[in-house]
Parts: sequence; structure tokens; C-alpha cells
Amino acid sequence: MATMILNGQEYTLPDNEKLNAIQAAQRFGVEIPYYCWHPALSVVANCRMCEIEVGSKDPKTGEIKMIPKMVPGCQTPARDGTVLVTNSTKVKDHQKMIMEFLLLNHPLDCPVCDQAGECGLQDYSYEYGQANHRFVEERNVNPRKDVSDLIQLNQDRCIMCTRCVRFTREITQTSELQVTRRGSHAEIDIFPGIELDNPLAGNVVDLCPVGALLDKDFLHKQRVWFLAKHDSICAGCSTGCNISAEENRGQLWRFKPRYNPNVNDYWICDAGRYSYKVANDVNLLNSAYLREHGVLGTISIDKALTSVDQSLKATSKDGGKIGAVLSPFLTVEEAFLLSTYIKQLSANSVLALGPVPIEGEDKTYHPDKTTGRTGDVSFVVPRPFTIHAEKCPNRHGVEAVLKHFQGEVIEFKTFTNEVARADYAAIYLTAGGLEPFLDQGVADLLRASTKMLIVQDVHVTPLAQLADIVLPGATFAEKSGSFANADRRLQSFDAALAPRDGSLADLDIFAILLGKSVAPILSNEILAELAEIIPDFAVAKGGKLPEFGAVLGTTPASTTSGSAERFADSWTKHRISSVGSYA
Amino acid sequence: MRLDDPNLKRVSPPKLSWVENLYLKQIVQGLIVTGKHMAGVAFFGTEITVQYPEMQHIPSANYRGVHRLNKDDQGRVRCVACMLCATACPAHCIDIVAGTAPDSWPDREKYPESFVIDELRCIYCGMCEEACPVEAIELTGLYDLTGLSREQMIFDKTKLLSVFDLTKDAEPMRYNKPPVGTPSTEVVSLHS
Repeated sequence: MATMILNGQEYTLPDNEKLNAIQAAQRFGVEIPYYCWHPALSVVANCRMCEIEVGSKDPKTGEIKMIPKMVPGCQTPARDGTVLVTNSTKVKDHQKMIMEFLLLNHPLDCPVCDQAGECGLQDYSYEYGQANHRFVEERNVNPRKDVSDLIQLNQDRCIMCTRCVRFTREITQTSELQVTRRGSHAEIDIFPGIELDNPLAGNVVDLCPVGALLDKDFLHKQRVWFLAKHDSICAGCSTGCNISAEENRGQLWRFKPRYNPNVNDYWICDAGRYSYKVANDVNLLNSAYLREHGVLGTISIDKALTSVDQSLKATSKDGGKIGAVLSPFLTVEEAFLLSTYIKQLSANSVLALGPVPIEGEDKTYHPDKTTGRTGDVSFVVPRPFTIHAEKCPNRHGVEAVLKHFQGEVIEFKTFTNEVARADYAAIYLTAGGLEPFLDQGVADLLRASTKMLIVQDVHVTPLAQLADIVLPGATFAEKSGSFANADRRLQSFDAALAPRDGSLADLDIFAILLGKSVAPILSNEILAELAEIIPDFAVAKGGKLPEFGAVLGTTPASTTSGSAERFADSWTKHRISSVGSYA
Repeated sequence: MRLDDPNLKRVSPPKLSWVENLYLKQIVQGLIVTGKHMAGVAFFGTEITVQYPEMQHIPSANYRGVHRLNKDDQGRVRCVACMLCATACPAHCIDIVAGTAPDSWPDREKYPESFVIDELRCIYCGMCEEACPVEAIELTGLYDLTGLSREQMIFDKTKLLSVFDLTKDAEPMRYNKPPVGTPSTEVVSLHS
């Protein structure tokens, strides 16, 4: 059993994990400040912020020998007998001096800087720095420049940690960024005419500990302390990246990645990053519609639901065939409730999987321990990151539910072919994707071959124009539930926005149809129910999933890997817990 | 504090005699105060009321009235849209939409595209003025704020800047230092 001594106290180190001093101290509740270190990037130890006193204990004599000079914690392995001192006057004075040094040329423009509120310099200045500044010479003012259409570089704020440079070399391996010039003239820059435009480029903004790299999409729009963060999952593709959906005044402003070693590591792709805009669209469906005398007219949602329930019950009583299309954008809870409802109406109803949007091909980034790496990689665990071609979040989850209810999965194409041949009395189609994807041909076909067409969507589509009843569902940001990603990993997420005016969350719609009168319906209660009924979902027993999700059909214990704590740079977390919300 | 707290000292009012119960002495004392004031107003001019609206009251220098948005020497709004006033505001009455400053303003990166204060919601506490890092928002001595509708009382950027033009002569800006602080030249030892 390996033990190390941290600030005079002995701690047991975890087995099978290679940690550096920063990581080890973090596990034991001691913060070592750092800027340039990142767990996914090689160690270069150039910011000098994490320097601490390091020594070792002789296993035989028990004598402790300290290294005379301080060494960077990011480069120091925590192993048996390692002695770390992080709270001595020597370390504290050193941190003060480093802060003063890093701030030599840093402008005092926090009021207009977008990073303010989640800035490493602000936080560490307050906690480890000092108010005095002995530099009387004129500051270097480096230029502001564009590194791509989406990212701006305010070079005057840069502290040359080179996290962004290492990201483009080691993770995306595209090497757009580099350090030009030397000394106090050093700058981050792109090669002339070669933009930072790889599909993961937005991550350099998240990596930047200061306000140097900024997202132009978010630039000057909000102050970060106004934003409420909600744990969400990106609905852009079947990777299921863990994101933080940040909202203020009923509107999403940005997505930020959340660490999940089994899914997206520390990153998200740019397509997912900017997919938040779909939820802010003002032209989304904002009312239920009912066709009367051939004309679609608005109707209150409760009347629309009563009408749906009555007509479907009447159809099943007359022996008519009912088909339901379950969109791969539904959560597993929603798919479960809808399937239960449709199968309750009539056992020979048909459940089909909605259209699965495919775009291009899967793209996987395979960072390894050598390519592009310039520094120490002994603490790095390289993990691949995939952008899937399947642009929906929950095909596997919906399929698992469908398999339980009718033993097979009917693809949308098969279903439309069958619709053209067989006689369907009613079709209940759910959509709710990021983009309206049904074409006019399919819409006409569905319309022509059924008497009763119910469409539940968020967009105004050609199909909705032809429907008998239109139900306004929730966007990905307005609902909570669970998605199973491409690896069948089931992950729960929270709603970021309240349902927009006139709409109702899909889960509530299905619960009302099912006659579940208790309100509000909680997705984790439905998940608990689901876990009892469908064996594949046993991992979600009690409606609770592990922090990093669980793979369908496995037992919970075997599905977690790596540290159970979510990594996040300290400055990205809210340090002040009670910042009032901005009305 | 609990009622059975041992540190609690109980005080009962003194018992009054029937003469004291008449309160004659206190009535006379009160009339003397009134008389002094009447004499003061009549003979020495010590009245503190004014004949508003014929006469206008001049509030003290730290009176907190209608807001104004200060302009710099080039006539541009001084505000840099940092939204610290909106953050500090306890009544949530300030709404700012920030934008990237035009290229012709080299000293600025950010400016308010829209700056709206709901004067009806405002409680005139002056926290916005205190929070402002560039002395852009100030509370003026204007106190007779009236309007015929709620909409009229929602002041936008143009209106707030016009309040500056209206009051700048009577109340010059209290501070006129550059927006970004110059580094302190004071040399202080790292640890004493």
C-alpha cells in the first residue's frame, strides 16, 4: 500500500493510477494552483504556478529528505514515500511572486473581459496573489487578432500557458496554433492564412485559463455570473457528450463540455457547441393545433390531448390499426410511456423507429502518447473522441424500448413502405429533432394512407401542416430524461429551460394520455419503473445512474472507469455559491 | 433571545401619582418647543420648508435622484457595458445589451447597445453608481420625476444621456479619471 505525506499528514494513494502531485493533492482536498497543466495534455511546466516543496521519505530509516529548490507539482509523481508541502511560507511567497509576474503585462480590463467570473487570474490573484504591483515600466500591449471566424485572440491577456497550442498538436493533431517570437514578445498565432478551423477548435476557448481566447459567438453577450448551469447532454449526435447548458432569461447562451472519461473526455465538437441555437428559435411550435372542417386551428393543449385520446381509443375500438413512430430524439422514459400507451390501446399496434438522420461519416480523434506531444506524458491517459455521423442522441435507447415491446425494431423506411401497402387507421408520429427533417414526399404518403394523423414536434414542418392534430413537444433543452449513446451508455440529464409558452414536455404529454394524474411527472421515477420492467435497463435501478452513466444490459459496478470525480478547472466552477440571478 | 433567559433584565414602568398622570409638565414642555419654532419662523427666518413649486428645493450634493449616463470628452457614452451595475442592483431594474465597440473607438472593446433603467422599479439606493468602474452612471439631484405612463418611466440610453446634458452644468461629474486604472507605483515589500 503506497502512502504519501502531504502537509505533514499521511494519505494512502489509489492503486493502478498514476497521479501527479496536483491530482493527488486534489483527491485529498488540497488545492495546488496551476495554469498550464491539463490532465489530457502533456506536462510542460511553464507557468510555474504549481511549484511546491517536494521530498521523499526513506522507506528503511524513515528519514525525510527535501529537494532544496521548489519543483512543479504537475511534473512530480505521487508515489510511495513522496513528501509534499504546499502550505509553507516559502510556497505561498512563491505563488505571490508568480502571480505578480504573470500579471506584469496583463491589462486591468476585467470589467469588459468575457472571462471575468471564470478567470484563473482573478481567482488565483484573490486566493494566492497579492495586491501590489512593482512593475512601473510601460506594459507590452500585444494585438487583438482573429484566429478563425469563431474565435478571437486577445493576445494582451495571454499568459503563455500554451494549453491551446498543445491541444491543437496533441488532441486534434492539426497544429494550427504555435508560439511565435521569444521572451516577453512571445505570442500565440496561426500560420498566415491557415485558420484554426478544425471541428474541435472551440475547445481552446474552454482550455484558456484567462480571457485571451474568446468565442465570438458568446463575445460580450452575457456576464458569466448571470448564467445558470444545467447538466445536460448534447443532442447533436449519438456520442452523447456531457455538456453544461448555460441559460439566462429563458434563453440558452452557450454550451460548455463536462468531463466524462467514457464518452467525450474533456471536449465537445463545434457543431454540438453551437447547436444550442435551435432551442432559442422563436419560430418553434407554440400551440396545439386541431383540424376542423379541413382547417388547422389552434386549440388548448388539454383539449388537444383529450381529442387525441378519444380518437385513438375510438380507432382501437373499431379495430383500426394504429402505428406510432418513436423519434430517436425521445428520451428512453418518453419512449417507454408512449409505447406503453400505444400497446395498451391495442396489442396489434405497430411501433416504429423514427427517421435516423445520418450526415457524413464518423470522425474519431485518436490522441496517443507520442504524436504531437512535447512534454512529459506519464500522467496522460489518451482517450479517443468521436463525432458520430448519426445525428440523433438516443437511437439505441429507443431501440431497446421497442425491442422489449414488440421484439423487433421496425425502421422508418420499412414502416413507410408498409404504410403505403397496409391500412392504418391512425398514425402517431413524434419528431422533436434538432432540425426539421421530414420531406414533403413522406409527409404526403403518411397523410394519404391514414385517416388520423397525429404529429408531435417542435418545428413547423410540412408534415405538421398536413396533420389532424399537432402537439407542441419539448426541445432537447426543455426536457429531462436519459439518452443511450452510440456505445449504449445510458446517461441522465436535466432540463435547462422551462417549456416554452404553449408547449408541454413530451413526458407530460404521454403521462396525461396514459391517465397518470400525478403532477409533475419526474423522469427519474419513470426511469425507475422502466428499470423494473425492462431487463436491459436494470442498470438504472431506482431511477439513479452513476455519475458517468452506465451501459445498457450491464451491472452498474462494472461500468465506471477512471476517477469518479468530474474534472473541471477550479476557475470554471462557481466559487461564490450565492450570486443572485439576473432578473 | 428566549423569555426565560437568565440574563434578561426585567424593567417595569414607574408608578405615577395622580398629579403626574395629568402630564401637565410635558404638555407645557411641548408647547415651549412649538413656541420656539413659531418665534423662529416669525422673527428669525429659520423655516425649513419651501413653497414648492413656486420655490425649488435644492437637494444636498449626495442626494440620489434620477440616473444619468455620463459622456466622455468626445461625447461618447462612458459606459463599457460591464454590467456590474446590473449585478449590484438589488431591484433588478437595469437592463443592458452589450455590443462590440465600433472600430473607430480604439480605446474601447465593448459598449452598451442598449441601456435601460426602469425608474419605477429602482429604489434609488445608489449601488449602481458605487459599482461602476468607469464612473459612467451617476444619480443626479433631479427629484421631481413624473410621467403619464409606466412606459414613459422606462428610461433608455438616449434619455439617460440627455439627463447628463441637462444636469452636467449644475452637477459636474464627481470623478474624471481615466477609465482604466494606471498601475500602482508604490513599492511595498512582499511580506513584512
